[in-house]
Amino acid sequence: MAPATVGAAADKAAASARKSPVRRRSPARLLSRGSRAAMWGGLLLGIAVYVLFGIVPMLGNVLISFTDYTGLPGAAVHNLGFSNYTAMESTQAPGFEQGLVATLVFVVAVTLGQNLVALLFAHKLTGSGRFAAVGRLLVFLPIALGVTVVGLIWILIFNPQQGPATSFFGLFGIHSAFFGADNWAMPLVIFVQIWQNTGFSTLVFIGGLRAIDPSLYEASAMDGIGAWQRLRRITFPLIAPSMTVSVMLAVVGAFTTYNLIYVLTDGQYGTQTLGMLAFNVAFGSFEANLGFGAAVSVVLFVMTLVVAIPLMMLLRLRERRLLG
Amino acid sequence: MISRLAKLRSRTRSHRVGALTLAAAVLATGAAACSSGGGSASGSGGSSASASLKIITWVNPPAVQAINTIDSEFEKKYPNIKVTLQTAVNVNGPYETLLQQTVNSGDADIVTANTPLLPLPAKMTRSNETPIQYWITNGAFAPLNGQSYLSDYTSAAKAADTYEGKTYGLVSGEYQEGVFYNKAIFARYHLSVPTTYNQFLAVCAALKNHGVQPLFTGLGDVGPVYLQFEYYEAMTDLWYPTAPGGNLATAIMNGTVKWTAPQWVQAMNEEKAIAQYLEPNYTGIAWQSMQGSGDFGKGTAAMELDGSWDLSSIHQADPSLQVGYFPIPFSNVAADNQAYSQNDLTFYELNSSQNKTAANEWLAFFSSPQIYAQYVNITGISPSQSSGTYSGFASQVMGSWFGKGVNQTVLYPALSPNNGYYDQQSNWPDLQLSVMQGKMTAQQAAETYAKDWNS
Repeated sequence: MAPATVGAAADKAAASARKSPVRRRSPARLLSRGSRAAMWGGLLLGIAVYVLFGIVPMLGNVLISFTDYTGLPGAAVHNLGFSNYTAMESTQAPGFEQGLVATLVFVVAVTLGQNLVALLFAHKLTGSGRFAAVGRLLVFLPIALGVTVVGLIWILIFNPQQGPATSFFGLFGIHSAFFGADNWAMPLVIFVQIWQNTGFSTLVFIGGLRAIDPSLYEASAMDGIGAWQRLRRITFPLIAPSMTVSVMLAVVGAFTTYNLIYVLTDGQYGTQTLGMLAFNVAFGSFEANLGFGAAVSVVLFVMTLVVAIPLMMLLRLRERRLLG
Repeated sequence: MISRLAKLRSRTRSHRVGALTLAAAVLATGAAACSSGGGSASGSGGSSASASLKIITWVNPPAVQAINTIDSEFEKKYPNIKVTLQTAVNVNGPYETLLQQTVNSGDADIVTANTPLLPLPAKMTRSNETPIQYWITNGAFAPLNGQSYLSDYTSAAKAADTYEGKTYGLVSGEYQEGVFYNKAIFARYHLSVPTTYNQFLAVCAALKNHGVQPLFTGLGDVGPVYLQFEYYEAMTDLWYPTAPGGNLATAIMNGTVKWTAPQWVQAMNEEKAIAQYLEPNYTGIAWQSMQGSGDFGKGTAAMELDGSWDLSSIHQADPSLQVGYFPIPFSNVAADNQAYSQNDLTFYELNSSQNKTAANEWLAFFSSPQIYAQYVNITGISPSQSSGTYSGFASQVMGSWFGKGVNQTVLYPALSPNNGYYDQQSNWPDLQLSVMQGKMTAQQAAETYAKDWNS
């Protein structure tokens, strides 16, 4: 290679090298220095807040679960090792075993019920007409009411003496204490949880349904494909991402629910899920055992992860399989 | 042109990213601040300087009314002290949480509770102490010894909250549990107040035959814990008279008496027999309806199983209701049928209080004869002071039973010496509800509990 050619190539390379940082510049570097400072400042502040109020308490909770910590300033705190956990594992803590069963029943029933009902509503309320708009508002309304209001509404409806539900079931000869009956309390709590949260899942599904290109339905109609096949071959595959979001939110929400149960039954009559048990043990009148309560909440957290992560992977796999 | 447009879009997007990040951070900070909650300082300074005094209690409407009235009068006498009363509903629910958080944080000067210090577990461990026992034995409350107002109270009231020679609680009085009855309904059907178990069942049966609902109670929201209106009375009448040394609690704790005692099995069988006269679906009826809005307050039920803390509320709901009281007679020996009583609203001064002087001034003011009589008359509580004259509705209804009864401290034992509450396999009120609903026999319930107690 001639020196002149080499020199030209070197200049080109140098020029290219000078230019390359510009080409590889990250979006952040496009900002002015002040904007970058604001962005990083905001980001770091957000992370700091999350670590301080999210991660640190969570780690603290894990530490507390190995102790007999009560929260009383100056009181001795003893390291109990795994005693709080082994107490659950052994037959010494019946509240745990019952809570475990109640939690699983609650999570499965809520997840299935909430998503099935939401799919049905979404199917009927996807349109842009007045009926659909009012329907969407009504379905979403319970979320805006809040847990306490929702709980009180249903307690009044199922008041065993004067509630409208009592009159209704009375027509069929059914009389019960409802939220005060072992065989009714859990199904009713599940029902109220579904009633309150179906609106959110419905909106998620409506979003998914609206994203489907209408030409796909038109083409399938022209090909003479029936409604069931359209639902199976077009709708279900294309709302798979919405399904993933809705199912995951329902599962995690059901695992962590205790506030609605607290309002409706206070965990009585077979409704003491692990979340409710953790609250009762930690803040109840008989023990105020924060250590044991923390251990229950750690177990609940691990359970949620054990269920949620594989479920998420399965749903993602399903999405890939259906969407190709 | 395209490049400039792209750059412009990129910059706009970057600005949006920056703005969104900042907004998210601000929102997160706000949300975290909200979720982390926040207590206000209880103020500082003694009574000589301006001070704020914070008291917490649960919502028993007459008690809240009485304390608010006392606070107003106290502030007139001590204009430099501002008193704040914080409440939470249901002593068996949200108030437990408020109390625990307040004691731990020190965010009050005076707290109230109604769970007894005594009897203490024979072998105390962290898991078998109640919160009150734990707080008293761990120095959360300031001893009241040396305060002149203590001398106004009975020795029994002082002993109930004394640990290692120090008195920590000011017991404002005690309530009796039993039956409130509608005098008009009893008169209409020519029924007399029953003094034995058989008479009681006969009265219930007669009312039922006349189409009147005999008994009313509410277990909704709180669960079977309110079966205490039956089981404490049953223990009082059937089991307590046979207790060695007149202290059933100690006898159970030291093993002299077993949970499988025939008297206790009999008691549960009688509870089951009485339950057939309760209103249908009583486990779902809100406990608040016992304060006058339920079947008894409306005059459709002849009797209500309750504690005398609800008498004032019942009276306020319908002043024309003619109410009488008798203890549920579980024994056929009339002399054995006593009222069951338990110390109720007890004031504790937090050791962490910065206003101990003001707190003691408030307790002294509360204990002054005129103010205390006013408190008793409004709340209907049986007095714990040694002397005084009272004319409230409850004292009229309770008659000779006012202030009498077998106290909880000699009746019901502390938690199992071996197991804490949550280590025990069976919940005692739940077991009794199972007996009342026919899901297990009284013998099975007794054996189940005895097994857990000894495990």
